[in-house]
Amino acid sequence: MAKVVEARKSRLLLLALVVFHLVIISHQVDAGGGVSLLQKTAFTLFSPLQRAVTWAIRLVEAGFHGYVSLRGVRQENEQLKGRAAALEVELERQRRLAEEAARLRELLDLQAVLPYDTVAAEVLARDGTPWFRSVTIGKGSRDGVRLQAPVVSPTGVVGRVIGVGPKAAQVQLLLDREAGVGALLERSRVTGVCAGQVGFADQGQTDLLMRYVPALADVAVGDRVLTSGLDRIYPKGLVIGRVRSVGPPSGLFREVLVTPTARFDQLEQVLVMREPVESPALAESVR
Amino acid sequence: MKWPLTVAGLLLALAAQTALSLVLPREGRLFDPFLLVVVYCGLVFGETHGMLAGTAAGWIQDLHFGGAVTGLQALTKILIGFAVGATATRFLIAATTTRFLVLFAATLLDALVFERFALVFEVPASEISLAGLFGRAALNAVLGSVLFQALDARLRQGVRA
Repeated sequence: MAKVVEARKSRLLLLALVVFHLVIISHQVDAGGGVSLLQKTAFTLFSPLQRAVTWAIRLVEAGFHGYVSLRGVRQENEQLKGRAAALEVELERQRRLAEEAARLRELLDLQAVLPYDTVAAEVLARDGTPWFRSVTIGKGSRDGVRLQAPVVSPTGVVGRVIGVGPKAAQVQLLLDREAGVGALLERSRVTGVCAGQVGFADQGQTDLLMRYVPALADVAVGDRVLTSGLDRIYPKGLVIGRVRSVGPPSGLFREVLVTPTARFDQLEQVLVMREPVESPALAESVR
Repeated sequence: MKWPLTVAGLLLALAAQTALSLVLPREGRLFDPFLLVVVYCGLVFGETHGMLAGTAAGWIQDLHFGGAVTGLQALTKILIGFAVGATATRFLIAATTTRFLVLFAATLLDALVFERFALVFEVPASEISLAGLFGRAALNAVLGSVLFQALDARLRQGVRA
């Protein structure tokens, strides 16, 4: 008897949970927004853990690089291995610092020329599931990060903010199937929309698909693709990538594959634009 | 005992997923530590706990590694937790090989159910190829079986002590 009651209770719970989630998802699909309170709570609760893991990983990486260097030096010179190892480790540390400084300098250069108020943020985690392409960054609403804020790197557009907590935020990468950015071919001024490709996530799709390019438009492989500003999210004139291939005309339009210039798998620091975009064209120097 | 274990499992899963995303950004996507927690809870603690663990795991995934629409992975994991729990209360699933099969099937089901939900709600999510799907299932099944075995041994030691 107790088992029957237990089974009935669990089925009722299942029904309640499923209905609850269906309502939440349907509401979001209708309203097109996220659950900000839950997102805020989750980011507040879990971003310290992610921050700690990121710190530990960087520490282990530094140690591992040091160890690899140490082994190379030991083989090269047995007598001086202790000193050489220490020097090698130090050199490695300096090299990493120099690399980081170069990355930050690039970021600062970009920050200086962008006509927007921006904030630099560290990437805490990259995409954890095959379904979506997103990263978590270590800046949130307390630093002025807001929903839909464009995120850029020195090499190109990265994506937009889709979830904000006080100290962390979630950024949807341009590679995500749900992402989209108004695009413009720099040479011929033809406009279209760049979005993540429909394809298998595990096969590493790294190109963007530019749609709504008129079939008769002048498009050539190697053309630079910039943001058009027409989506009211990204400002006009930021670099998205270069045309990789041009598809055959299909009806009124043709599809163009674009290789993004942002290195999504190597993102460590990014810039988040804090002001809403009023879409002024960027100065030539920004491009 | 079961709730502290579940919370610890979920926090470890979040830490593992974060670390993997930094060290192996592409391969890390194939491993789903949250699914392992949900399957273990369903197997050991039954369908109700499996469902609740699925809700928590899914929401963490949705909020930290999901898209603009939250709740899809939670809904999927609820069903996985319930299905595994319901199966475990009707059949004896204690052997490593049986657990391997359950993990394998749960991973396939997770992907299929999620992709169906994404389609129904018109959420544009990426898909996994057949080879990638079976690779993901095999990886989760192997790692899950080993971890479950280790966890069982640890828990038995704790009970004896």
